[in-house]
Amino acid sequence: MIGRYYWPTLAAVLVVFAALPWIAPPVLIQFGTTTLLLATLAQSWNIIGGYAGYASFGNSVFYGIGGYGTAVAMVQFNLPFGIGLLIGSLLAVVFALLLGLPVLRLRGHYFAIATLALAEAMTGVVSNLDIAGRNIGLVLPLRKDDAFFYELSLGLVVLVTLAVFWISRSRFGFGLIAIREDEDAAGVMGVNTTLYKSTAFALAGLFSAMAGGIHAYWITFIDPASAFDITLNVMMIIMAIFGGAGTILGPLVGAVLLASISEVLATEVSAMASLFFGLVIVVAVIFMPRGLADLTRRFPGLGWRYFRENLRLHRL
Amino acid sequence: MSLLLQIIVNGILLGGLYALMALGLALVWGVLNIVNLAHGAFIMLGAYVSYYLFTLLHVDPFAALPLCMLSLFALGYLLQRNVLNLLVRAPMFNTLLITFGIDVVLTYLAQIVFSADFRVVNPSYAGSNFTLLGATVPLVRALAFAIALGLTVTVWLVLAHTRLGRAVRACAQNLLAARLYGVEPRTVYALTFGLGAALAGAAGNLYGVVSQINPYIGDALTAKSFAISIIGGLDNPLGVVVGGLFLGTLESLTSLYVGSTYSDVASFGVLVLVLILRPKGLLGRTT
Amino acid sequence: MAVSDVSFELFEGEILGLIGPNGAGKTTVVSLISGTIAPSAGKVLFQGAPIAHLPAFRRSRLGIGRTFQLMKPFPGLDVLDNVAVGALFGTDGGKSRLRHARDDAAYWLDFVGLTHRAKQRADELGGPDRKRLELAKALAMNPRLLLLDEVMAGLHHVEIDEVVAIIKKVRGRGITVLLIEHVMRAIQSLSDRVLVLHHGNKIAEGTSETVLNDPKVIDAYLGSRRK
Repeated sequence: MIGRYYWPTLAAVLVVFAALPWIAPPVLIQFGTTTLLLATLAQSWNIIGGYAGYASFGNSVFYGIGGYGTAVAMVQFNLPFGIGLLIGSLLAVVFALLLGLPVLRLRGHYFAIATLALAEAMTGVVSNLDIAGRNIGLVLPLRKDDAFFYELSLGLVVLVTLAVFWISRSRFGFGLIAIREDEDAAGVMGVNTTLYKSTAFALAGLFSAMAGGIHAYWITFIDPASAFDITLNVMMIIMAIFGGAGTILGPLVGAVLLASISEVLATEVSAMASLFFGLVIVVAVIFMPRGLADLTRRFPGLGWRYFRENLRLHRL
Repeated sequence: MSLLLQIIVNGILLGGLYALMALGLALVWGVLNIVNLAHGAFIMLGAYVSYYLFTLLHVDPFAALPLCMLSLFALGYLLQRNVLNLLVRAPMFNTLLITFGIDVVLTYLAQIVFSADFRVVNPSYAGSNFTLLGATVPLVRALAFAIALGLTVTVWLVLAHTRLGRAVRACAQNLLAARLYGVEPRTVYALTFGLGAALAGAAGNLYGVVSQINPYIGDALTAKSFAISIIGGLDNPLGVVVGGLFLGTLESLTSLYVGSTYSDVASFGVLVLVLILRPKGLLGRTT
Repeated sequence: MAVSDVSFELFEGEILGLIGPNGAGKTTVVSLISGTIAPSAGKVLFQGAPIAHLPAFRRSRLGIGRTFQLMKPFPGLDVLDNVAVGALFGTDGGKSRLRHARDDAAYWLDFVGLTHRAKQRADELGGPDRKRLELAKALAMNPRLLLLDEVMAGLHHVEIDEVVAIIKKVRGRGITVLLIEHVMRAIQSLSDRVLVLHHGNKIAEGTSETVLNDPKVIDAYLGSRRK
């Protein structure tokens, strides 16, 4: 896809997205903000799950920490949003590094479950903290400016995507890919797997936390259930995988597509939207496990045989 | 002191049910290497089957147990045979994702069909208790405990001593060799997964008698089943029993001494610790 | 106990052959040197310094490279990038820029004769090509010591000769080689010295001629059949 029109097209898309608050109705801007935040989550997951191959089912933990860090800073200490966001992000990074060390020693299923358990446990822990407002949560100061949050979210998506772009062509990124493909061989070839995994985890945590902070300030409210929403984990993983884990734009495309379709369905019956997500996962994992990125790359050559190939490779 | 005893008895009764809940998951995980994120949804469906049999046809919940198991067995068998078998040779993560997708589909289908209201299965003897060593034991919980334990032991015996059990274990260890011995993996896989689902259905049936149900109980129960399977070790059905009793008691004690909102934190905290210190679980073999 | 009481020295610039019946512990010895497993007793010294406590990746930085008996290419990457990983992370930390690493990788692919496959996915390669890829990956690390674990298994005559030629080129660059092999022809034409393991113990050491005519060695290889 590296044609002559690649960069110009990307730039044009970015301009259109940035101009949205001035040309679209408020509902669309709000939907846009939610989608951009989800895209950030998907892209952050891409770093640890897509590139390093460590499928974390608990990145919502960082989203929540970012949100709560921001909220506590602003509500309990009257700090400005920027500082709050910084605090939330730093907390998440520290958390990722500390908990990353033991948890990243686990492989495959065990890692997935440990991260899931962490996410579940955090809800319980935070609902017992007075400073965080316990079960009731916190109400943040109001800033009624949808355009501000939209542009902020857009900026964040660009930031995390640039990070992924850098990763994809750096020594660090190659190390991550090597770890994903064969961790033992990577170690033998000189990759400091522990350092690299932890860094990837911390990076994923950093951007997820920033998304959480922005979200909390935007909706002026945070409580344990919404901050550590387990379904977020699902969504970010599905979006990243559907679009193409381990690619630069895949998670973004996945996020925008799936969020849009889900939004359309949600106006009908809200359970339908979730049902739709479930079906998408099932079908996508069977027929296009490497996501849209791989599909668009190989469908022109293989046609419908692409799907049959995927089936043939993996069935009993 | 008798309060502590009561709490422990509660914990054990809960633990027996937990063990049964986790057994299906552990079986499928240990034998097929499938981490079934839809396990809780199977439990939820088992509970609903029991609920509707009770409310519409006045079937006693304990009598409905075989029906719950059978219907969930069929669901599990069909799912494995037609959907999950498509991913047997794919990376583990794909199976994780697809069972997750199935979980979402089942949960939201249930919400659409059954509505999100809380339901309860209340047979006429629901309120009766008896005393044991100074602790009050609700009849339904005691029955649930007994059945749960009975099923667990039965499954263990079946796996260890029957031809089917041997076939299942053979497939788990070496697929090619199993094929050479005439075992048809597709069928064995489907039967095993069906059995796991049937056990989940049984757990759901019993769960519906002791607790409220709604379409969303699945996820928390899946997570608990994981915790129990890992704490107890995957190789050994006895481990699941130990894990279940341990978790049940832990939750009960935490509820009393620390606060009910902490009981989940305690279970997951233990889970994370076990994963880090001894991933094979308390009773798992170390090789 | 896979290996017990095995002591030997490896001299710089030499090719040491390591032979012995299956299960003798040869791969274990290599794994102890490369860091894949840690010794329960004893010392491992590299260039005079103890390394037994170092994790595998640190030993690679010191200049120890190895190939695996069960070949482990990185499946999702193409052949060139597979080798580039070696160049990025090898001795002294490897290259820091992807472009330089890819240039190095291209060089080593040419060295082993795989340039025509540079852009193919690594898991699409056939057996003999996979062996060359393994070799290129290890060489791209710029090792001082190269541990080769049965690089010739499953190759036929012509292919074996080609690999022997490559290993001679490797030695020509001053790289020390530890060669595990069952193909005696290769051992004889390459090794300066040969070490024989049996049931985890060293049973003979010397030139290939002495060792291959040693009755203890012959007995070890044929022994199981006599019974």
